[in-house]
Amino acid sequence: MTATRTERTAPVAVSTGTRNGRAAVVALAGFEARRLLLRLPVLLALAGHVTWIVWRTLRPADDFPVLQDADRATQSGPLFVGLAVMLCANQAALRSLRRDTERHFAVTSLTLWRRTAAHVLSVVPLALLTAVAVTAQFTWEAAKPGAVGRGSVAELLAGPLTVLLFGTAGVLLARLNSSAVAGPLLVVAFLLLFVGSASQSGGQDTGPVWLWPVVVTSGVHPFPSDLLGRPAGWHALYLAGLALTVALLAVLVSGGRTRTVQAALAGALALAALGGVMQTGGIPAATDTARSRASLAPEQDQTCVRRGASHYCAFPEWTPRVEDWARIADRVQGLAGGAAHDRPLLVRQRLEARYGLSDDAALDPATRPDQVTVGTSWGGDRVPEFSTAVAGVLVAGNERRAGELCDGRMVPLMWLSLAWQRDPESALRHVRLDDSVTGSALVLSGTEPLTMTAGQTKVVRALLHRPLADVGARVKAHWDELTAPGVTTARAAELLGVRVSVGGDRCTG
Amino acid sequence: MTVTVSASGLTLRYGATRALDDVSLRLTPGVTGLLGPNGAGKTTLLRVLATAVPADSGAFTVLGRDPGTARGRQEVRRALGYLPQTPGFHPDFTPFEFVDYVAILKELTDRAGRHREVRRVLAEVGLGEVRGKRIRKLSGGMRQRVALAAALVGDPGFLVLDEPTVGLDPEQRLRFRELIAEAGEGRTVLLSTHQTEDVAMLCHRVLVMADGRIRFDGTPAELAARAAGRVWSSTARDAGAKAGWRTGTGAFRNVGDPPEGADLLEPTLEDGYLLALDDEHAEVTA
Repeated sequence: MTATRTERTAPVAVSTGTRNGRAAVVALAGFEARRLLLRLPVLLALAGHVTWIVWRTLRPADDFPVLQDADRATQSGPLFVGLAVMLCANQAALRSLRRDTERHFAVTSLTLWRRTAAHVLSVVPLALLTAVAVTAQFTWEAAKPGAVGRGSVAELLAGPLTVLLFGTAGVLLARLNSSAVAGPLLVVAFLLLFVGSASQSGGQDTGPVWLWPVVVTSGVHPFPSDLLGRPAGWHALYLAGLALTVALLAVLVSGGRTRTVQAALAGALALAALGGVMQTGGIPAATDTARSRASLAPEQDQTCVRRGASHYCAFPEWTPRVEDWARIADRVQGLAGGAAHDRPLLVRQRLEARYGLSDDAALDPATRPDQVTVGTSWGGDRVPEFSTAVAGVLVAGNERRAGELCDGRMVPLMWLSLAWQRDPESALRHVRLDDSVTGSALVLSGTEPLTMTAGQTKVVRALLHRPLADVGARVKAHWDELTAPGVTTARAAELLGVRVSVGGDRCTG
Repeated sequence: MTVTVSASGLTLRYGATRALDDVSLRLTPGVTGLLGPNGAGKTTLLRVLATAVPADSGAFTVLGRDPGTARGRQEVRRALGYLPQTPGFHPDFTPFEFVDYVAILKELTDRAGRHREVRRVLAEVGLGEVRGKRIRKLSGGMRQRVALAAALVGDPGFLVLDEPTVGLDPEQRLRFRELIAEAGEGRTVLLSTHQTEDVAMLCHRVLVMADGRIRFDGTPAELAARAAGRVWSSTARDAGAKAGWRTGTGAFRNVGDPPEGADLLEPTLEDGYLLALDDEHAEVTA
């Protein structure tokens, strides 16, 4: 065998400038960050996060976001990004051991603890990228015409800080245990813990539950910002302190026992402890008092505005929504006859805040004449639900009596509620608890549900298929009889010109 | 000639074993070969000189820097290029990425300058064309050249190569020899090897180690000369020979103390090496 030898001149070494340890740590962090960004689990998690944001934000039910809830909704997605970053940061920190390059790297001028610092820093761009995604999600929500309320920067920080915490935890784990399976096992353990904690906490939003990175406590009814009682600021401090502590511990166990690292670790621990203690103190007494006041005497906190003959009272953050409510109330009232057509209504926003964010207790129906309850959620099923509440008050006189209706008055009530809508039959489906359009069913309401019999459903559906003006004229013409207590469904059908077999009413058996 | 690496009294024990036993040496620019059997302490000596492990006792300097202090160790590492025995790789890196990574670890922080330097060393070891290919797709010889490029990046003044030609086919070994010769121009290279031909071809000096001690320190010619008058030919293996083997001609080549009237042969470096290993006491001529 012969070797081919070529005449070559050895190239002259390129000047590489002054060598600087700190700059090398930053350069290595940049190198590792680029690789981290290109790892498949991270790419998949980021793509999943973005997809989830787009899907969630485009849902019709999300057209009217409450921003003090929308900020919290940014926290779940980053959990999965964090777990992917944890896994990949762990593998990156173990790379030189697993690939047997540590023998070489150990004699370079960048010592292990500096390389560990670079791995820790490499997580920062991922946390920043998450922050961009979270900001985009929140900004998108805030830019929607139906958005109300205000978000919290501290709540928005939870997602990116979780990614930072998980990433640094992956690096620390690599320095404590060089096994290649430790990282994946930790990820699985975290997943199980998240699932376990979600099922066990039952939406609890006080106490030790705040030691978890993300405490979403999704409630059915959004609270005014002042009533949230979430220690979001302390929690952000806790997460930041914890992430720093984990990062500095990783540097420390890698040999970086400098005074600066030790002092910074003490500081980070103090921050984490301070945030950890302050966030678990429970709901402040003042917030509890405010929650009770908002539940029992909301008028003390509300702003009322007049639209036409009616008054609309809302918690201050919801006043932009008055126009939506007024538009619907006007449409319903425009179809009513008799005195109901011009009756001044009091539309009041109500909320049960005494039992915490995750409580979904129904509100008691109002007994005051002409008062209509509207909740703090809007959009989707809440629109026909409100329309039904308005119609109920117009037909029965107040909410309690509307909830007790069992006779033919349900027919004009439901027709008023649905007839003005763009797709009345679809609205009927949405406002019924079982999404049915035949048979008997419970009808959703902001307070107590109403009940439609199978016969009433038949009559209402038949009316919805007829011209609005024609039915409207009959409703107005026979308003007094149609809304008189005891009117039967059969009689209501007859008055409205519908010939169907309706059976007996609930009241009459 | 300028002494670039100087060590005295280096001793290192692993339990009851003396891996290094009072080793002293002085290296000068050019390629110095380090020969010795397995377990002689070659790799341990290289690892001590590369600051990978500290010696139990003794001291050394590299390019005037004392690695006994943290600052000195840092300075030594900045001047060091190291190719460990059977080096590891990051298979999903490209040669460019791997050498760039090592360049960062050597604190080359100016991105543009570093990338020029990485391209330079990759071109120097003949990997310019495959610098964007994944290392996992490269042959063993190419991977070894990646490791050499990683050792060369940053233009180190002291290059430590631990058996770089192990596992290479003859053509690759020749190519590597050429690269090491080039690397030795203007810098100090300490080359650990089992291949006496490599030493004969490349080295201006040779150290022979056995049992943790330096048994010989001199030029390759001097090592070969140690066997002058101690290599002879015979028709059968001579019972008094320390080593003997049948050659292609059918005659036996014996190394040791020849009988009177023996048919003496021209000694080679390998003959000198065999005798140096067998000598009771170290002979340091340099």
